[in-house]
Amino acid sequence: MKVRITKSAGKNLCKLLLCLLFIYVLAGCDRQDKPSSNNPQPVAPARIYEGTIIALGDSLTAGLGVAEEEAYPAVLEEKLQQSGYNWQVINGGISGETSSGALTRINWIIAQKPDIVILETGANDGMRGIPTWVIKDNISQAAKLLKEAGVEVILAGMQMLQNLGPDYTKEFAAVYPAVAQEQKILLIPFFLEQVAGTPSLNLPDFIHPTPEGHRIVAQTVYPYVVKAIQARRLDRSAKNKKNR
Amino acid sequence: MLNFRFIFRQIRSSHKQALIFVFCVALSLLTLVSLGGFSSSVRSSMLKDARQLHAADIIIHSHYPLSPVLTTAIKDYEKQGLATSAVVHEFYSMTSNTALEKSVLSHLKVIEKGYPFYGKVELASGRDFSEVLKEGTIVVEQSALDRLGAEPGDSLQIGSAELIIADTVIAEPDRPVSFFSFGPRIFVAAADLERLDLIRMGSRIHYNYLLKVNDPAMVDRLADELASVAVAPQERVNTFENAESGVKRFFENFLFFLNLIGIFTLLLAGIGIQTALGALLRDSEYTIGIMKAVGATNRFICSHFILMIMLLGTFGTLLGLSLSFLLQLYLPALFGGILPASVDLVIAWDTVFEGLLLGTAVVGLFSFMPLRRVRNLKPAAIFRKERGTAGGRLAQYFTIGVITCFFTGLTIWQLEDIATGIYFVLGLVGLLGLNTLITQALLRIIRKKRPRTLALRQAFRGLFRPKNATRAIIITLSASLSVIFSIYLIEQNLQATFIQSYPPDLPNAYFLDIQPTQRQKFSTILGTEAQFYPIIRARLASINGRAIDREIERQRRRDNLSREFNLTYRDFLLDDEQLIVGDSLFGNRIEELRQRGEVPVSVLDTVAEIGDIRVGNLLVFSVQSIPLKARVTSMRTRTESQVRPYFYFVFQEETLKAAPQTIFSAAKMERAKLAEVQNRLAKELPNISVIDIAKTIEILARIMHKLSTIVQFFTSFSIIAGLLIIISSIFATRLARIREAVYYKILGASSGFVLQVFTLENFLIAMVCGLLAGLIAQAGSWIVCSRVFDISYHPLPGRMAIMVGITVLLVIGVGIGASLSILQQKPAGFLRDEE
Amino acid sequence: MADKVLEAVELSKSYRVDDRRITVLDNISMAVEKGEFLVIEGKSGSGKSTLLSLLSGLYKPDSGRILLNDRDITGLSEDQLAPFRNRTIGYVFQSFHLIPSLTALENIMFPAELNHDPAATAKAAELLRRVDLHQRDDNFPHQLSGGEKQRVALCRALVNSPQIVFADEPTGNLDSANGETILQLLMKLRREVATTLVMATHSREISSTADRILRLVDGRIDS
Repeated sequence: MKVRITKSAGKNLCKLLLCLLFIYVLAGCDRQDKPSSNNPQPVAPARIYEGTIIALGDSLTAGLGVAEEEAYPAVLEEKLQQSGYNWQVINGGISGETSSGALTRINWIIAQKPDIVILETGANDGMRGIPTWVIKDNISQAAKLLKEAGVEVILAGMQMLQNLGPDYTKEFAAVYPAVAQEQKILLIPFFLEQVAGTPSLNLPDFIHPTPEGHRIVAQTVYPYVVKAIQARRLDRSAKNKKNR
Repeated sequence: MLNFRFIFRQIRSSHKQALIFVFCVALSLLTLVSLGGFSSSVRSSMLKDARQLHAADIIIHSHYPLSPVLTTAIKDYEKQGLATSAVVHEFYSMTSNTALEKSVLSHLKVIEKGYPFYGKVELASGRDFSEVLKEGTIVVEQSALDRLGAEPGDSLQIGSAELIIADTVIAEPDRPVSFFSFGPRIFVAAADLERLDLIRMGSRIHYNYLLKVNDPAMVDRLADELASVAVAPQERVNTFENAESGVKRFFENFLFFLNLIGIFTLLLAGIGIQTALGALLRDSEYTIGIMKAVGATNRFICSHFILMIMLLGTFGTLLGLSLSFLLQLYLPALFGGILPASVDLVIAWDTVFEGLLLGTAVVGLFSFMPLRRVRNLKPAAIFRKERGTAGGRLAQYFTIGVITCFFTGLTIWQLEDIATGIYFVLGLVGLLGLNTLITQALLRIIRKKRPRTLALRQAFRGLFRPKNATRAIIITLSASLSVIFSIYLIEQNLQATFIQSYPPDLPNAYFLDIQPTQRQKFSTILGTEAQFYPIIRARLASINGRAIDREIERQRRRDNLSREFNLTYRDFLLDDEQLIVGDSLFGNRIEELRQRGEVPVSVLDTVAEIGDIRVGNLLVFSVQSIPLKARVTSMRTRTESQVRPYFYFVFQEETLKAAPQTIFSAAKMERAKLAEVQNRLAKELPNISVIDIAKTIEILARIMHKLSTIVQFFTSFSIIAGLLIIISSIFATRLARIREAVYYKILGASSGFVLQVFTLENFLIAMVCGLLAGLIAQAGSWIVCSRVFDISYHPLPGRMAIMVGITVLLVIGVGIGASLSILQQKPAGFLRDEE
Repeated sequence: MADKVLEAVELSKSYRVDDRRITVLDNISMAVEKGEFLVIEGKSGSGKSTLLSLLSGLYKPDSGRILLNDRDITGLSEDQLAPFRNRTIGYVFQSFHLIPSLTALENIMFPAELNHDPAATAKAAELLRRVDLHQRDDNFPHQLSGGEKQRVALCRALVNSPQIVFADEPTGNLDSANGETILQLLMKLRREVATTLVMATHSREISSTADRILRLVDGRIDS
């Protein structure tokens, strides 16, 4: 007569299905969507910055699985400040976004009038096996639009998971240098340099960096940002001269 | 100095009551043993399904090769003959048909011999999977062939290897676990893993170690041991029972429901036995009075009655057991078509033993109260034909206490969870207390009524006849009816949530990442009706000026408010949505809001609950660092928990149209059509990803359907058993009532009049009981559904009315049945009995 | 010859106990005249109660016929008998047989109400007053003593002014004082409504006041 049972406080399957669906698709390719705070106080920043950098990207930028202040854009801003660059870094990462999504919101980004945009996208495309030419077109177009709007662009180079096969990973990796060359923009050869593939620097999902991983990413990105800042300063003084 | 002839005489003189008592015991036992036996076989069948969903008993998952400790542990188990293991490497890779220069992202499963330990991988050719998948070959999903333009026999390039397509796969037992797949499944033999050359630095591989444990009882132990040596957090050890597969909770709910039915049946059985026994002893009160008058000691009387009860109880028990064996014998024939073949309807000996113990305990416990009354009976009271009191209050409370403890123990034992068991019993006691209170109040109201019609007046007065146990009848009847109604209501709600969530038009394909500019083109390619959901990613910054606290949110078990939300816009309700607050999505003061720089938003009740959000609150969102002040104008709820997309926050189109967004789409289409659409999308809109969940839905729908039939079977079985128990107890109590009819007849009432009075009286009882039971069942089922099962609750008033109607008919019918003899026969015989 | 209210022709009744057949009444023929007070006398077990049950239609004879006002009621169904029981016949039992759910007053009213008598309440109250129980009208049977119960039963038997009243050992469950009162009341009321009375008793004292005595010995009329 006895039926063994574990107490149920169950969510039902359907909810779960959808929950999974949305977390998977729209929050990047992992279920470990740990809450990360994003308490943006974008209204009237307390301080005046010399310029604005938008870190445009996917979950690697948004910092899926870590707190927002641990994600690389925050670390980068801190680093810049410490080095005397009074620049603001806005986290413009959206988990799960593909290069198509990034291109779609490029005008929205431009409308925020950034000086520099760090363009980190394409990883989700790769993991879904999207043809590399699509990624290339998207990134290229996005970079072009940003440049036309007078924004300094830093392109974050990406590599694809090796399990996708040698042909695809090779093509994928080639996208970034090609775009950088074509659009004449700064290129970070590999955004996840020294982080990708190292268990201790990644969350158990293998994809997303730990806070320590984000610090290394910020380190990797930093020199290029400094270069972009300098280019920006030059550009500004040139404009100022002209105006005078 | 026992006198068996006395016992025999006593049984003979109240043979009707004795018969009903035996019947009640038999029925209770039949129900307990059969339900118990079946539910354990259903449980094992359900566990089999759960095993199949994971294809193993223990699953170890990691993104890295297994740590040496864990490998050693597994090797040890294998050496000791405790378990068998198989490694499954799962990962995505590009697969190409080099001949046609076509490639597609595919979901590889590189398997070792042994997979699947449970369930079967079915192939189109009907051949045995392990025979087909050999080194150098692959088994693929049809959609891979469609996408690549390939056929079985062709070879495909995966990684560095060329592999020949040996067959196509139709079904894969553990598909729902990894249903969310961006590409078609391809099975590769482990022998080819090296040749693929895809596992290298920078590869993302799911290492799944499947273990089959030879002794099912050891699964949990081995899993615990493995978990203790596993490297946290990357190595996760799960059993098929606790793996977070979504299906788990679903199984849990159904198992819990089976337990619930077990407890309810126990309750019903107890009530039935108690009522029948009470009636039997009441019938003997006269004799007992006389015996006491002539000097019989309580000891003598009680021992005789206990012996009598034991005799009858044993007889009922044996009858019940034989009936349950008979039932078991014929059940496959009866339900063969209804129940899934995998459910063996076998009654295990231990359930028989448990049933016996329970039967004895219930008879013993519930006999205590009536027997106490026997003890306290005063001979004089008998001659005045009055009812003896139930004895000291203390003893009464003691008895109730013992019964409550017994029942609590049983419940805890059944639920295997002390807290839940205690809550459950507390809830039941509360509902019973409420029942008693309402009954008292109602009776007090009715007592004052003096209707004009003679028959109706007689019916009313009949309820308050001295010695009449109206209150007891109403309480027992409404309690047992509540149980039955609750079983029905809960079953219906479970069905509504789980089974009807799989309507035939459920989307079987999801399309992700459609860009707004592609919508038109996408529609054209799709060619069929589809739903479009624009998605704007945003975070919630504050509610009514109160910022979202990340740390608190992190603690939440379900959803939390600190994650990125998917906002959407539309100006209509979805088919499965309802407004619960507000009369339109965005209210009628939009202009006023606009002047304050705010926009209207409609909120889903589930998220409102998490964040304590109310209509009129101000939510501040950060839509990609742009603040959005939104005033809550309405609250929505979802009528069905269907497998359909839902959105917590719905805005007006103009609010979010300009924000960066992608479109999500869902559609239902034939496999061939889907293949065509996928091919066209790959060519024309290559950025759109397609998730094909048809296979998963199919498997889940099959499981749901199976469980649904099982649950229906159990529900009807316990309802029928409950009804029989109720019928016999009504019969038992109504039998006492027919004496009244004799007087009516002697005084010249026609049988029509007698019938009228009885019908009215029974109608009154039935109505009161039905309504009370309805009320209690609604409350109870609501609690169970919303607190335990966490599903939405529908009160189903129409069906409830039908249930009450059936109750009324039943009580009237049984009441008339019990008094039928008096209507046709001459009254003198009954009078003679009385003297 | 005076009018016959009730006539029994060759009534027989026997019971079956296990395999034995016990003849209770053996070929009894008798008649009751209008307005007379007939006592059926006999020892316990002589068949008095059975004869009374048969005569009043509460029981069915094995053979023979019963004529009530020249109408054969032997073969009537229970429902066809109902109006006779209500209006033509009244009963008083040894063990009262009051309806336990009704008060004293309601017990008396009940037959009148069944007869749709609009004056039921008034009649019942009047009868209760006559038997000195008007202050107990709200009491239930279990609150009354044996003598009181029988007084109520008496009123109930007479409320519809029946042609014939059957009384089966009406004083059998009462002490002598209460028995005396009941008998006197019965006689008084019988005279007032001019009804026929058939009473079964083993009391010689009562028989002595009867118009006629029928003695039963072993199921036969002892003549």
